[in-house]
Amino acid sequence: MQGDYLQQIEERPLTGVGLRRLEAFLQRQGLRYDSGVEYTVLYYDSQGNIAATGSLQKNVLKCIAVAEECRGEGLTASVVSTLRAAAFSRGQQHLFLFTKPQNQAMFQDFGFYPVSSTQDMLLMENKKGGIDAFVASLEKGRGEQAAIVANCNPFTLGHRYLVETAAARCDTLHLFVLSEDASLFPSRVRMELVRRGVADLANVIVHPTSDYLISAATFPTYFLKSDQIERGAGGALDLAVFGQHFAPALGITRRFVGQEPFSPITALYNRQMQEILPRYGVEVVEIPRRQIGGQAVSASRVRALLAQGQMEEVKALVPPTTWDFLQTEEGQAIARRAGERP
Amino acid sequence: MEIKKAAVAGTMESSDVYVEIQPADGVTVEIQSVVAQQFGEDIDRVVREVLSDHGVTGAKVSLNDKGAVECVIRARVETAIRRGEGGDAQ
Repeated sequence: MQGDYLQQIEERPLTGVGLRRLEAFLQRQGLRYDSGVEYTVLYYDSQGNIAATGSLQKNVLKCIAVAEECRGEGLTASVVSTLRAAAFSRGQQHLFLFTKPQNQAMFQDFGFYPVSSTQDMLLMENKKGGIDAFVASLEKGRGEQAAIVANCNPFTLGHRYLVETAAARCDTLHLFVLSEDASLFPSRVRMELVRRGVADLANVIVHPTSDYLISAATFPTYFLKSDQIERGAGGALDLAVFGQHFAPALGITRRFVGQEPFSPITALYNRQMQEILPRYGVEVVEIPRRQIGGQAVSASRVRALLAQGQMEEVKALVPPTTWDFLQTEEGQAIARRAGERP
Repeated sequence: MEIKKAAVAGTMESSDVYVEIQPADGVTVEIQSVVAQQFGEDIDRVVREVLSDHGVTGAKVSLNDKGAVECVIRARVETAIRRGEGGDAQ
């Protein structure tokens, strides 16, 4: 620790005066405090001013900044050491870090390696070649290859329709199911329901995404409720990861996506996709939503019906494989949780 | 001694070394150091010595070294081992 500075640890999101001071400090460094932060370390100088700070959200180090007049004293090292140790003690070993591209060399010294970057954002991880090893481990397809990335929370007839339509238009369809556990249906269950739901489609390969697609690391705002989204969502970095690593490793030239009539964040993400992926040689194809009962089928509609206990309506929107799961003890426990969620 | 859980010791401040240890089959040592070119092999030897002194036969150890002297490296690795085997928390 730095002898001349006082260290303060906050193990929950900041509030009140402390929050306003930190926000003002970060703003001077061109950064924002994220509402999802779970752990913050601060260093104060002898006058009680913030000299340096950094925060942790799950396995992501962010909001790291050092006051202009305190640079060159090794404070970044103290911040990063503290955050790494805190993440580790919380069982997080695969760590990510958000920073500006010009800071790459500095964070490389602290054991972080670049994953992907956009003009103003750089994502790094603490595993050398981690992303490359992950994409290399994925099952390869053949011929003309396309991809879908979806949460499938849970797998509905809408997903089934999108997958069927896409699979009919390419030789291999890579179906990525989000590994991030931030949804009503745990990732293990979502993955299993997708596998069962597409088992009859021979040219579909189901993959996990690890931390690399639409995760707390690549796209933190994706999991926030729409009213929590501040100043636009950052899907650009996530799409850079897809374009720079997934597409070339698997030979993916098209990405299929369902039209988004409901979620503003997904609609914005789809627009960003149209703009960014063609730069990496990936064509984006939007497929209209399947309608049942005059309404687009969506997983959020299924969850709302589950919450209200309207099981007959749910049955009409999901394939038999998902329906069977909902009859099991585990499925019913999840349906009850749906009712308890705000 | 058996490494039962992931643990860390040290910092990435100047003249210190940051050590992460995880359970694994066999021993692997990864070193990132500002003095890797001159002392990388020495650091590797020191780490393996400390592991073997403590009877650790299964561990993945990663070091981010900022020019720590040998006694510091020994102390940090030993602390990481003790934390990783679930004993001393501090």
